[in-house]
Amino acid sequence: MIYEFRVIDLAEEFGVHRNTIRNWIKSGAIPAKEGPGRRYIMDWSDYQRLCEKFGKTPRMPRTGGMQKPAQEQGPPPIKLKAVEGNKFYPDATWADICLTCGTCASACPIAGVDGLDPRKIVRMAALGLTDELVNTDWIWKCTMCAKCEEACPMDVKIVQLIRKIRSMRPRDQVPGPIHKGVVNCLERGNNLGIPKDDFLFLLEDLGNELAEECCPGFSTPVDVRGARILVTVNSKEPFAEPDDMKWWWKIFYATGESWTISSENWEGVNWGLFSGDDEALKTIVGRIVDNMKRLNCEGLLLPE
Amino acid sequence: MLERYKIYSVFDLLLEYYNEGRININREIHKQRTTYHDPCNYGRKSLKTFGHGYFEEGRIITKACAPNFVDMEPNREGNYCCGAGGGAWAMPFKTERVFYGRIKARQIQETGAELVIAPCHNCRDQIKKSLNQEYQLGIEVKYLWELVADSLVLPVKN
Repeated sequence: MIYEFRVIDLAEEFGVHRNTIRNWIKSGAIPAKEGPGRRYIMDWSDYQRLCEKFGKTPRMPRTGGMQKPAQEQGPPPIKLKAVEGNKFYPDATWADICLTCGTCASACPIAGVDGLDPRKIVRMAALGLTDELVNTDWIWKCTMCAKCEEACPMDVKIVQLIRKIRSMRPRDQVPGPIHKGVVNCLERGNNLGIPKDDFLFLLEDLGNELAEECCPGFSTPVDVRGARILVTVNSKEPFAEPDDMKWWWKIFYATGESWTISSENWEGVNWGLFSGDDEALKTIVGRIVDNMKRLNCEGLLLPE
Repeated sequence: MLERYKIYSVFDLLLEYYNEGRININREIHKQRTTYHDPCNYGRKSLKTFGHGYFEEGRIITKACAPNFVDMEPNREGNYCCGAGGGAWAMPFKTERVFYGRIKARQIQETGAELVIAPCHNCRDQIKKSLNQEYQLGIEVKYLWELVADSLVLPVKN
């Protein structure tokens, strides 16, 4: 069965911009083909999958064909006794005190995506569905923005719960580059593995540029002992957007600030916070403290 | 350790410079309507974790540089996430990330602002490089410190 749609209708249905729908079609996220009359067509089952992904009810019901009988749907019932001693959170405020009102789900911008929302996550935790929680990617699509917590009348620690669930994902199955970044940082001093020589050359080069552009006499201070402020760096800047570092440098120039960047362990972004890796997080923070001591600085500036 | 060293967020340091009169700002450079994005980590989450949310600091500095200011609704602790926090900017779930950001895009659109100030790397990237294109916002996006740097009247030094 074919589902025919106009871009504008689908955009309205999912609350996104028309171009977003076009981009999704282009990238294959929506498996649709152009049909006659500025309309697109896709398989009805693909449309249904899309609705499921974003927690929407299909606007157009499937007509004809066989429907699954109701009693065959749904997971097997959960035996509560099986979860005793299987809790993975330290106290009741992480899940048990939840009133199941669903306010958190209303506050969450991705409630419904993958059929999940904060209320369901909290219920799953209370029921001890550890494997299901650890294996769902929803936990990583969530941005831990805490809108749910802000809305919760019982002050359930939803974000801490999410982070704990993230920490239980086997490290080689952490989606995207954030665990790789943590390993890079531990082994090479920054998330993107920028070699020390390249970094130092870049700092000097950019400093000279800034001096020519608008700040005569400027040079980038590296490893200056006794500087008032140690400045840490988000590695994406030296890696991809080096000119962006100059804005802060220009401000330091204007204020006559006494500041420095460390030649080693200068990374200011700690991905252990997001990947749920407390040990790595502590190690990386410890290195910054060591830099503070070594360079005898008074203050520390974080990149954001 | 915390007694020995002072930890500066970008807000603390910029506000220190501003309050001590160490930066001279030209208010004529950014005349366009400007709004301010509250990052979850510095606002809502900082308030809960450390007892202080950085809500006003960023606004004081933004308004000092761009006087034609308007807030999004809701804002401060009620603000919506850009959609890319918590590592999501780097995650392989682009479709979901853009879908997440639809509320942020709408919030920005409703202010009619031409310039959006983001004091967080992650939020700035999502708003500038993703939402701006996906939702055709037609906005300019700057870091808070970029706004300050672009507004600076530099001292004459020899």
